[in-house]
Amino acid sequence: MTVLRDYAEAVGQPALGDEPTRYDEVVGPDGSLRPAWKGLAEVAVGLTRRELDRVHGEITRFLADDGVTYARPGEGVGPWRLDPVPLVIDAATWTRLEVGLAQRAELLNAVLADLYGEQQLLSEGIVPPAVVLGHGGFTRVVARASANDPRPLVLAATDLGRDAEGAWRVLADRAQAPSGIGYAMENRRVVSRVMPELYREAGLHRIEPYFWALRSALIQSAQGELADPRVVVLSPGTHSETAYDQSFIASQLGFPLVQGSDLVVRDGWVWAKRPGGLDRVDVILRRVDAAWSDPLELRGESQLGVAGLVEAVRRGRVRVVNGLGAGVLENPGLLPYLPAASEALLGEPLRLSAVPTWWCGEPHALDHVLDRLDSLVLRAIDGPADALADLSAAEKRERLLDEPHRYVGQESLPLSQSPTWSAGGTSPRPLTLRTFTLRYGSAYRPMVGGLATTAGDRPVSKDVWVLKAAPGDADQGLSEVMSMTNVRSSAVLVPRILEDMFWFGRYAERAEDLLRLVLAAHALAEDFRTRPRSTGGASLGVMMAAVQRLAGRWHDDLDEEFRSLVLDAGRSGSVAHAVAGLRDSLQGVRDQLSGDIWRAFGTTDRATAALVESPHSHQLAESAGRMLTGILSLQGVTASMIRDAGWHMIGAGRALERGVQLCHLLRGTTTVRRGIDVDREVLNAVLLSAESAVTHRRRYRGYVRPAGVLDLLLVDRDNPRSLAFSLAELRVHLAALPASTGSTRPERLLDDLVAELEAQEIAALVAIGGVGRPNLETFLDGYLVQLDRLGAAIAELHLASGPAPRPITAMTLVEEPV
Amino acid sequence: MSARYVVTHRTTYSYDEDVTDSLGIAHLVPRSLPWQEVGSATVTVDPAPGDLAHDTDHYGNTATYFQVTRGHRRLEITASSEVAVTAPSYDEAALGAPWEQARPLVVPRVPGAWRATDFALGSDQVERTAEAHAYAAQSLRPGRAVGEAARDLMHRIHADFEYDQKATTVTSTVPEILAKRAGVCQDFAHLTIACLRSHGLAARYVSGYLSTDPPPGKERVVGADASHAWVAVWAPAPDGASDGEWLALDPTNDQPANDRYVTVAWGRDYGDVTPVKGVIFTEAKRSTLRVSVDVAPVTPSS
Repeated sequence: MTVLRDYAEAVGQPALGDEPTRYDEVVGPDGSLRPAWKGLAEVAVGLTRRELDRVHGEITRFLADDGVTYARPGEGVGPWRLDPVPLVIDAATWTRLEVGLAQRAELLNAVLADLYGEQQLLSEGIVPPAVVLGHGGFTRVVARASANDPRPLVLAATDLGRDAEGAWRVLADRAQAPSGIGYAMENRRVVSRVMPELYREAGLHRIEPYFWALRSALIQSAQGELADPRVVVLSPGTHSETAYDQSFIASQLGFPLVQGSDLVVRDGWVWAKRPGGLDRVDVILRRVDAAWSDPLELRGESQLGVAGLVEAVRRGRVRVVNGLGAGVLENPGLLPYLPAASEALLGEPLRLSAVPTWWCGEPHALDHVLDRLDSLVLRAIDGPADALADLSAAEKRERLLDEPHRYVGQESLPLSQSPTWSAGGTSPRPLTLRTFTLRYGSAYRPMVGGLATTAGDRPVSKDVWVLKAAPGDADQGLSEVMSMTNVRSSAVLVPRILEDMFWFGRYAERAEDLLRLVLAAHALAEDFRTRPRSTGGASLGVMMAAVQRLAGRWHDDLDEEFRSLVLDAGRSGSVAHAVAGLRDSLQGVRDQLSGDIWRAFGTTDRATAALVESPHSHQLAESAGRMLTGILSLQGVTASMIRDAGWHMIGAGRALERGVQLCHLLRGTTTVRRGIDVDREVLNAVLLSAESAVTHRRRYRGYVRPAGVLDLLLVDRDNPRSLAFSLAELRVHLAALPASTGSTRPERLLDDLVAELEAQEIAALVAIGGVGRPNLETFLDGYLVQLDRLGAAIAELHLASGPAPRPITAMTLVEEPV
Repeated sequence: MSARYVVTHRTTYSYDEDVTDSLGIAHLVPRSLPWQEVGSATVTVDPAPGDLAHDTDHYGNTATYFQVTRGHRRLEITASSEVAVTAPSYDEAALGAPWEQARPLVVPRVPGAWRATDFALGSDQVERTAEAHAYAAQSLRPGRAVGEAARDLMHRIHADFEYDQKATTVTSTVPEILAKRAGVCQDFAHLTIACLRSHGLAARYVSGYLSTDPPPGKERVVGADASHAWVAVWAPAPDGASDGEWLALDPTNDQPANDRYVTVAWGRDYGDVTPVKGVIFTEAKRSTLRVSVDVAPVTPSS
């Protein structure tokens, strides 16, 4: 049996229990396929459970390789979820919807322009004033004549659901900083790769051209006639729910992804910081909510915004997309009044109707909602949609009567259902559809497609396929749009980005060195753990001590300890900790790097998962080895980067960290003597950890002694793993940074370090005193301190972005009387 | 006959380390009103700002934006103006209507009600609380004239609450004021507004200056005045011919605003009309604030 036939049969059965009767996206009431699916029938209906299983597995892997994440509120960052079965919409249905969506965006824009301008809607009572004035999104600092903006809405999103008859109805509008376009694009990319036959067969609208239109719309939205306006994407940072969406859009559009601290206001203009200067910013695609966008005039404690931004907006010197006041549209209280607003502002009836909604500020609506409290959903006009879900009926009633104007009652739509994959087959799940509408040229154009999400405990997204009426139709109806072949990504190298690059280099090197060290120690453990008194057993002890120098000692049991060293992200000095740091530093510069970088994490994540599942000791070497492969592949990605300050910062971080790790390794293994045999075993493990075993064997023909090893690892300038080589690399990278002059403090400190290393005689370093090598110990201890100092000096010169903004009243301790 | 004043309001911040960048918004220029004429008004910033501009805000006040981009350890904002004030007069018929008819959400179609709505809802610094509602109920008895009810509330707040500069801070909330039974003019105003709004009336926060007489037999001390705050409550015009009246009352001094009151700005609460607010970029740990206000009466030379 095939999956869709199973599904059709199951859907045909009478519904059990209280489940509402839902419109089914695939199967009609008579059991036949919907028109949209008829064209796909040959390929789609043939899909077996096994094939769908394979497709689902590939989707998961592709999404992991692309590093696609989403942070659900309260859950932290998790993988983005995508169902293999798309939502398919036929051309005729879409055309009706499209006209309604374009009209809606035009209306919402007109509503915004009116609310922040003439206020005809309020003065004539078309929209009750309390719906707007009592809403947190109404932004008074731009409700002034000076801030008049006739087109504040550039990109709108509308969430839709079907009623029982199958008609699409509006659930909510999103205008503050609509998210999801990046996810929609990523969904399409993945689905087209894993189901190429179906995708080819379908004759659906591709969505790339919509990105070209978005790019062009943002450039056009610059004020005045600018030849080459600078557009940036303003993100609240890597911990935002939709950080992936933001960086995806930025990198697809070729616009830099910045944070509030990367921008400043001077003379009423907005500027992006770069080493040695400022670049003017003309358009900001805003993903920070308005309230947090300017600590001067909006929330004063915000560190996400740009002080002075509101003034720059009012003077028309920067265009913020969407306008700072757009959040007032995310307001269910407006829904009952939009039909009248459409008549008043556009002179047309509203085409798309919304889910029936009553604003309780009107006495008759309040009575209606009070009567139906058990069947209606009670919502505040601002704040999260489900904020009141847990209240008892009595509590709801009390709040309603106290401040009726703050609430609406809404009917809940049954929503349509669509087959959704889960282990063992597909089952019908209710879904909502997010659509996007863009002001392109002088008209609003909905994306022909969207982002569908199944409702329920564990929401899963679906790609949205809109079929073409005729095969020759232009994708997105946009035949004239310029393609983005000419996109020049203007790299923004603000101190924050350089800092992330620096730590990318450091954590990548740290992860690699730790993995090699753990692998070398683990190899000894596999051979000698049962013979602690043997030479190998003693060497194992030395190597474990060297690891624990970096990571502390957490477990007595060796297997537990190894697993923790690899898996425990909460353990400073562990591999997982370094990988987490690496991932964190990359999130902030995601738009600047090739997507290949996330494959490395796909590899390390799968290796980690395999180790978590398998208790066997050999799995540790297997997984650590694969993680090493993943981490090493990062070198291949950076090799293809443009040689700008960012690349040099990665190199500087890597070279510095290599020096630090090498000194720690030698300090933990070579300064105490434990007898010739043990020392030889340890030195072999050290060479392995420092990836110099092969070189050493070729040069010294297997004759391992301290002087030879130290020569190779400390002073040999041809060995890329040596301290001397790392310092030489570091010097090259530092010299290439914009703030370097040849005599800056980091350069001076580095010169001293190089001179000190050059002055060392290996023979003197290995000299024996008592049980150890005191000269070597002194040298390494001193060197570690100086390397640390060098790291701090680099940060201070190249990575500092000056003090953070704070309210002028934040530290006023004394108020002097006159 | 109007009273004339020269007002000087100087705000000085001193820091223990350099501030690289200061941005500010000031509400320091008095409003032109039917009962108040503003002759000249200037705002100066020292060190000289790279940017300074005036704009009319959402409520019709003059808002001044400035940015100082030179390093500084001292920032001084000085506002000077010449103002002529007469005591405002009101349409007694409007003030005589029952207060229930002055609630914008209840009478949304009455002229002016839609604009007054903004002042009838809760705002950041004026929550509508059950305590304020209960306190005000004694004044807002059913059917009482809105003017009389508001004046009664003013008398009671003046009698029940103590003026005490140590009791509160600029960020004190209405519940704190109610609990302490004390505060400064800002708190008296916020409390009065909370009481009126909790019953659905529209009330706005007015910021300005009060000209004071020196103690008997003493010279006037220059700079000893302070910025002041009071409230205004909305009453619709009974014939619907205008947007209604805003009766200005000073609960701190238990009197209606008269020709000694210089109106600078109004809004929903202190946050809308803060005389000077700003953002600074600095590593400084300490700052000192010094405010001096002088409202000097001008004797007509004729």
